[in-house]
Amino acid sequence: METKMFAYKCDNCGELHHPKHYVCRKCGCRDFVEVPLEGEVILLTYTKVYNLPEGYMKPFMAFGIVRFENGLTVSGQIECEELHIGMKLRTTVGVIKEGVGKDYYGFIFKGI
Amino acid sequence: MRQVGIVGVGHTRFGKWSGGTFMDMLCAAAVEALDDAGVKLREGHGIDQVFVASMGSGMVNRQSGVASALVDSLNLRPAMAETIENGPASGASAVKLGYMAIASGLCDAVLVVGGEMMRVISGWEGTDFVATMLHTEGEYNYGLTLPAFAGMFTRLCMEKYGVTEKDLSIVSVKNHENAMHNPVAHIRLVPSLYAIAEDEDANVINPYVADPLRMYHVCPVSDGAAAVLLCAMDVKDRFLKKPVKIAGIGQATDTHAVAEREIPTDLLAVRVAAERAYKMAGVTAKDIDVAELHDAFQILEIVESEEVGFFPRGEGHLAARLGDTKIGGRIPINTSGGLKAKGHPLGATGVSQIVELVRQLRGEAEGRQVQGAKVGLAVNFGGFGNNVVATILTNQEED
Repeated sequence: METKMFAYKCDNCGELHHPKHYVCRKCGCRDFVEVPLEGEVILLTYTKVYNLPEGYMKPFMAFGIVRFENGLTVSGQIECEELHIGMKLRTTVGVIKEGVGKDYYGFIFKGI
Repeated sequence: MRQVGIVGVGHTRFGKWSGGTFMDMLCAAAVEALDDAGVKLREGHGIDQVFVASMGSGMVNRQSGVASALVDSLNLRPAMAETIENGPASGASAVKLGYMAIASGLCDAVLVVGGEMMRVISGWEGTDFVATMLHTEGEYNYGLTLPAFAGMFTRLCMEKYGVTEKDLSIVSVKNHENAMHNPVAHIRLVPSLYAIAEDEDANVINPYVADPLRMYHVCPVSDGAAAVLLCAMDVKDRFLKKPVKIAGIGQATDTHAVAEREIPTDLLAVRVAAERAYKMAGVTAKDIDVAELHDAFQILEIVESEEVGFFPRGEGHLAARLGDTKIGGRIPINTSGGLKAKGHPLGATGVSQIVELVRQLRGEAEGRQVQGAKVGLAVNFGGFGNNVVATILTNQEED
């Protein structure tokens, strides 16, 4: 079970990336080191989706784009009743999709 | 570089295709375009190349090598053939490649057909299929979908610019009104603005899909095909119809993962694609008489109308409120009914937008004609804006 998600820090210039890129967007370097992405985030925008794709047996799910303290912005699932832009959430890592013989792990942001 | 024009257009009725197989649907649009141009389907037909635009023929219809099959079905052998996949921008990409094939001197005449038959799968499967264009690890695996990103984008535009749910409904009703005059449109009804935006039962009549986006703010799932025949201007006399010239094409990409964009309310690729197309055509936004913008979600028509330079940033919804984008308004947008009401068979959409502009520039858009239209702009939007193609057509010939 995976418990951590990472940013990918350019080994040459330090630029942070997520998701992973093959080449650094700033300097073109191809080497990265993993930096854990955790802690509090700021909710930038969100939605509740009522027509989910195949494989999600729920009436709706919430998704958002958040910003970490290091400035990186990522998408993820949200488990929190009341949402508003600018609120703080905490980062957790959990199963985001149940696959056949393999579960997928990713960000699930929760209320504080 | 050779000049390129469009001498034939064809279009099936969008909606639920009931005329046979996927290939039958492509053939129906193709034959209409060839007939329109006066091409005789026999030896010496003069078609050098066929491009077929389709995002999901392999995944949805279990058919690959579609362009080769279409060439054979139409007996256009030994024409060259390729299938083009660029998400929902496949159609405009195929037109661009047709332009390049002629401009380079490789071909004199190119048939471009776009088509998608999506109504053979369930809504769940369809939503999943379309979402495969998102970033696999950063988006798709989370259950994120195109409507999800459109919902998040809409919320930001509401917060930043004061766009309201009613504004989205105003754009939707306008496009439904236009579609009533388009015989190939999917949805042939005009919802009441009051019912979908203000009635106490609006939550039931117009339920949320991805809040704050509701059902009438999102395009339907459609089958359909559209076709255009391109030719070199120096061989235009071989064809029946006067060509509509392809004056400019621009294309641009943006980050695959939407969250990585520096300004999340920006549609950078739309802006850059339009700038490139304007530059090539030698025109500005002020010269455009009619536009087909990619309104898979109504917020996109509003923001695209800003990004292509029709209105200042943050004022697209105000222009829609004033009726500036209606037929007869300052800049009519989506006279065809747009993706919202004409329908959105992914690979067909970019070609369909070009078909509508050709009809407008020929003066054939009965019931929805923009009087005196000389220059038209189409914006075909792939992914959630990570690959956008802008095309400018004109009926003005030059030497």
